[in-house]
Amino acid sequence: MIIVIDAMNRDRHEDILEEMYRLRARVFAGRLGWDVKITNGKEIDQFDNLDPAHVVSLDDQGNVVGCMRLLQTTGPHMLADVFNAVLDGEPPLRSSQVWEATRFCVDTDRLSRGRTRSSISYVTSEVMIAAFEYGRRAGILDAVAVIDPVMNRVMIRSGNAPYDYLGKPTPMGKVTAMAALMDCSEERITRLRDFAGIDHDVFTPEAEVRAAFERAQAIEARTLPPQLKSWLDLQLSEAVTDEERTAVNALRKTLLEKAHTAEIHRLPEALPATH
Amino acid sequence: MDLIDLSNVEESDGRFLRFLNELCDTLEFDFASYATTNPVNGAVQGFANYPDSWIEYYSAKHLHHIDPTIRRGSRSIAPVDWTCFEHDDAFDAVFRAAPSFGVAARGITVPVRGPYGDLGLLSVTRDCNDAEWDSLMRKVVGDLQVAAVHMHDNVMQSNTLLKALRRPQLSRREVEILQWAGEGKSQQDIGDILSISHRTVEVHLRSAREKMGALTTAQAVGRAIGLGLIHPG
Repeated sequence: MIIVIDAMNRDRHEDILEEMYRLRARVFAGRLGWDVKITNGKEIDQFDNLDPAHVVSLDDQGNVVGCMRLLQTTGPHMLADVFNAVLDGEPPLRSSQVWEATRFCVDTDRLSRGRTRSSISYVTSEVMIAAFEYGRRAGILDAVAVIDPVMNRVMIRSGNAPYDYLGKPTPMGKVTAMAALMDCSEERITRLRDFAGIDHDVFTPEAEVRAAFERAQAIEARTLPPQLKSWLDLQLSEAVTDEERTAVNALRKTLLEKAHTAEIHRLPEALPATH
Repeated sequence: MDLIDLSNVEESDGRFLRFLNELCDTLEFDFASYATTNPVNGAVQGFANYPDSWIEYYSAKHLHHIDPTIRRGSRSIAPVDWTCFEHDDAFDAVFRAAPSFGVAARGITVPVRGPYGDLGLLSVTRDCNDAEWDSLMRKVVGDLQVAAVHMHDNVMQSNTLLKALRRPQLSRREVEILQWAGEGKSQQDIGDILSISHRTVEVHLRSAREKMGALTTAQAVGRAIGLGLIHPG
């Protein structure tokens, strides 16, 4: 299920955004090793303060499992201000009918391989379909997306190949960044829908999203004390190797299994102070 | 879309009103308005072709302080259809009386963001049923986006400091494509010459037009020649 959260409705969905920022921290700082700033287990940058639109995907259990950020290219955006090296020093596009897509990610720890509703592939397609449909409704004709080569291959495989690239692939820290152009067209949306087998309206009514999300939060809260949960999030975002991440996930699983015991609820007192 | 090119007409506030009138004629709206806060001197600038009686009522009651199409609409990246304010008391308070002034409470607000944190809002209204409105929106929302940015950029340029800041920054690709367009080549030809897709040519042309403050490619070419960015074909 998809909800678009922007400055118009964010006052009602701050908690979903918080979970989204945590997911971004786990993916971009953790798994991908990008040079991004993490505060309290969340990845938030200057562009999040410019009222972007976030396309957020939640699974049937109400967990945030995917997201993408959209900004207009007429105003400040990442290709103009941060990723200009990708454009080889050239000025960026500026068009009322081109939006910029950045910070796309999915929760590969929670989602499975394969093609089910809780797969990486399904959520990837769902976020893309939602972004293009939201754009089309706003009169947008093209999108420029900042992606890495892995994402580029995923898009080519899923009926979503860029039609061109701007500038050249540029190493940024541990990753290579590319600026891909995609038409925001019915044809592309149809290809994406055919590939993923999604024929329903991907946008879910707000009340339904809230109900699922709050259910998921309630289960988490019942099981693990909040301090323990944020400590685990911090460990995950600071993990450097795959082994470290696997270890944190295994620890989370073990703790969840013992969550009904009193010992678990005394654990936070024993945790080292976090920043 | 056939609208007056604001940067080509003599500078006076009258040209903005003329632009809004033409916008209504071309895209089939009843009324249009534009508002911005000047980022340099903080002054609120607005233009509207609403009936004078509605403008007087609206300003006398200081409705802009509570109007959600302005206060909330300015923070969206997508155009904001006023149907989303259906259950908003502030919207009701502002627009309850509107029909008695001949202004429909059915409209859409297109927010524009400029490079210096400047914000502009273009709003249009029309008295019609749901089906008519939906089909009109599908047809013209892209044109509204283009018109909103054209209006906003030209209002910003009427300030000397902002005008100096906004010298068009074209990329090499945009210059190259404008040069070929100036030689009379079609988008397809240009794509073949540069070995890029015709969609890529189009996206660069749209961007170049907006950076030059032009509504058509011919205007953009003329202006680029004037600035010495390309040579006459």
